[in-house]
Amino acid sequence: MKLRLRWVTLAVFVLVMSVAVGSVGVAQELVVATGADPVRLDPPDQTDNVSETVLRHVMDGLVEFDEEMNFVPALATAWEVVGDGEGYRFFLRQGVTFHDGTAFNAEAVKYNFDRIIEGQLRRTALLRPYIKSVEVEDEFTVVMYTHFPFGALLNYLAHGASLIQSPTAIEEQGEDIGRRPVGTGPFAFDRWVVGDYLTLTANEDYWGGAPQISGIRFRVVPEEATRVFQLETGEAHVVVRVPPTEVPRLEAASGTNVLVADSLRVIYIGMVVHKTPLDNVLVRQAINHAIDRETIVGQILEGFGTPADSPIAPLTQGYYSAGGYEYNPDRARELLAEAGYPNGFDIKFWTPNGRYLKDYETSLVVQQMLAEVGIRADLQVIEWATYISSLFDVDKDTTEAELYLLGWAPSTGESDWVLRPLFSSDLFPPIGDNASYYANPALDERIQAAMRETDPDARDALYAEAQTIIHEDAVWAPLHALRQVVGVRSNVEGVSILPIEIVLVKDAVIQ
Amino acid sequence: MSQYFIRRLLTLIPVLIGVLVVTFIIIHLTPGDPARMVAGMDADAATVAAIREQLGLNRPLPVQFVSYVSNVLRGDFGRSFHTGEQVRNEIAWRYLNTLLLAVVGVSVATVIGIVAGGISARFPHSWLDSAAMMVALIGISAPVFWIGLVFMYIFGVQLRILPTGGSGTWQHLVLPALTLGLALAGMIARMTRSSLLEVLGQDYIRTSKAYGFSANVLVFRYALRNAILPVITVVGLQLGYSLAGAVLTETVFAWPGLGRLVVGSIFTRDYPVIQAGLLLVAFTFAFVNFLVDMLYALVDPRIRFD
Repeated sequence: MKLRLRWVTLAVFVLVMSVAVGSVGVAQELVVATGADPVRLDPPDQTDNVSETVLRHVMDGLVEFDEEMNFVPALATAWEVVGDGEGYRFFLRQGVTFHDGTAFNAEAVKYNFDRIIEGQLRRTALLRPYIKSVEVEDEFTVVMYTHFPFGALLNYLAHGASLIQSPTAIEEQGEDIGRRPVGTGPFAFDRWVVGDYLTLTANEDYWGGAPQISGIRFRVVPEEATRVFQLETGEAHVVVRVPPTEVPRLEAASGTNVLVADSLRVIYIGMVVHKTPLDNVLVRQAINHAIDRETIVGQILEGFGTPADSPIAPLTQGYYSAGGYEYNPDRARELLAEAGYPNGFDIKFWTPNGRYLKDYETSLVVQQMLAEVGIRADLQVIEWATYISSLFDVDKDTTEAELYLLGWAPSTGESDWVLRPLFSSDLFPPIGDNASYYANPALDERIQAAMRETDPDARDALYAEAQTIIHEDAVWAPLHALRQVVGVRSNVEGVSILPIEIVLVKDAVIQ
Repeated sequence: MSQYFIRRLLTLIPVLIGVLVVTFIIIHLTPGDPARMVAGMDADAATVAAIREQLGLNRPLPVQFVSYVSNVLRGDFGRSFHTGEQVRNEIAWRYLNTLLLAVVGVSVATVIGIVAGGISARFPHSWLDSAAMMVALIGISAPVFWIGLVFMYIFGVQLRILPTGGSGTWQHLVLPALTLGLALAGMIARMTRSSLLEVLGQDYIRTSKAYGFSANVLVFRYALRNAILPVITVVGLQLGYSLAGAVLTETVFAWPGLGRLVVGSIFTRDYPVIQAGLLLVAFTFAFVNFLVDMLYALVDPRIRFD
């Protein structure tokens, strides 16, 4: 009996020690609570934020964005413009292998981009208009030729669609590609239990140095209150999309912290400009003057936004402020009277509910503000899939929209991906996304010229002109640029948030 | 008897065919374009059109229907529009999770419900009765997600004895099952109470009482057996209901169940997943009802389906 007790004591002692040692020395798994499952883990064939987040840990691009949207060399160590701008030459990192042992080289780069521009993937349309061909010069040098001198090519290569994956894996997996991604990144894919979690393990041979955590577990927690609870209990180290109301509590608690970063996403009221009375620029300006953006940001978003003065967010390359419209209901009434609507008018106003932070609440407040100046907006909440079909799968004659709330974030990080799809006169729905049906040759000209301009300063000047035109014509009523709120445990460091709404934990450390 | 069983089983077939046809029509009548949802908001028309073709959505509806039905008959439910994964694989594990949650949740509900309802009927119009019926009322009327969050806060955040969400261990099952169980217990408790009170008013009970049987024996041994039939019906219905209706519990507790999958697929217009999911739910619902009918025969020897 005595003997047995001694063994038990020893066993308990060993157990306690191993737990104690385990929590000090050995790298731990980091748990990230996301709101949804990834959809498809194939870079050029995904468009959702969670898939891209996972992929940016498993794969590298030739170049990547940092938190200020600067370019950072990744699989390309250097690059130069070829000739008069017909392409870029990339010098590739040597000695890198994919997680499946395949060597990373120029052929792998060519294989990835050929697959996109010759295929029919969800992001083919993003890259095919620019990339003409990819030529292998030697094992670690490629030249990417574009259809015309294209100034923003690096932005497109830093895009999530351009992450490089193993050609062997693509060949072997066939139709199932997108379930088991293979890249060169700091973490290798481990397991995906759809609806529950996805795990990655640290790649000890990563060219940028081994990660300081043993792996990452992305856990699917759809309910935001539950995510916050999980952060408080320590079940999750990092949680995305923390509701603003929870921020003070998490900041006050000892174990938790909140990180805030600007997003490139601008929330706006779109106006269908060929419908009366929105065809009158004075009316559109009046709507802009009627909205108190400071109040929306302060009261509805609890400060987690920035009042917008352009369709483009400040961190987007090419952003320019043409001054914006100050809140001035008197001026709005004057403009309405001048336009021939001294008693205001009735108008339809569409809004989603739950798609963007406080979208419906924002619309309610805008409705109130419009009522102040005499505009009687009939607010209609529409379910998301129906919403985007009603906006984008119609044409100029059949659209039933008048005012609508929407958000847009250029996933390439530069102005072209706002201005061209949303303001070009040849991109009306159903071909493109210009759902306000605004057409202005002067604006088209600037957008096209900027796209072909390789000198960054000249390009910025063109974008400034473009944003001035949009401001004067009051095509939209931009409301605010969103801010991202991420909760982290206080003992976790090295979490970074990209303005393209991606949370990276590659360099995370658990103290 | 066995003939009746087989006849009942065969009636499941037209039910399933009906579900198949109706869901097919409804999801195709619902506005919203699956190809657009797959392509994303910023996709151009060519990409949307190409995806529509890939998914086979550009074919005439009757053609789509025939090909869908013939695939289903061969056991092929297609691939999810979004993930590209076989629907069969996507749904099987989620279904087992939901089944687990539903069975445990309904068991919890049954125990709570019958005990509470029994106590109520044993001491009618006493403070015990009021208390038990009050709990039942809360269970019926309080929103599931609210109960879930309260449990999560007490047991997960404050006491730290149970995980707040996810799956994998039995501990993960406790809070969701309790939440679902409490929500369903109310109905069972009320049904048990009223059914028991009705039986307790009958002559044979009075006679038994006169013979000197104790009240406990009367209520829980003799009356309950006769009062249990309507309760079984309710339990069966609730089991069927929680297969699809546990979606709120699943969402709050991040439980990877079928309800969450199907509701998410409705929002993204993932037709193959919606269809297979609803078919499975309908089948289970009908099958559980079938089992309940069979159970009647076991519980009440007077019932013989000849």
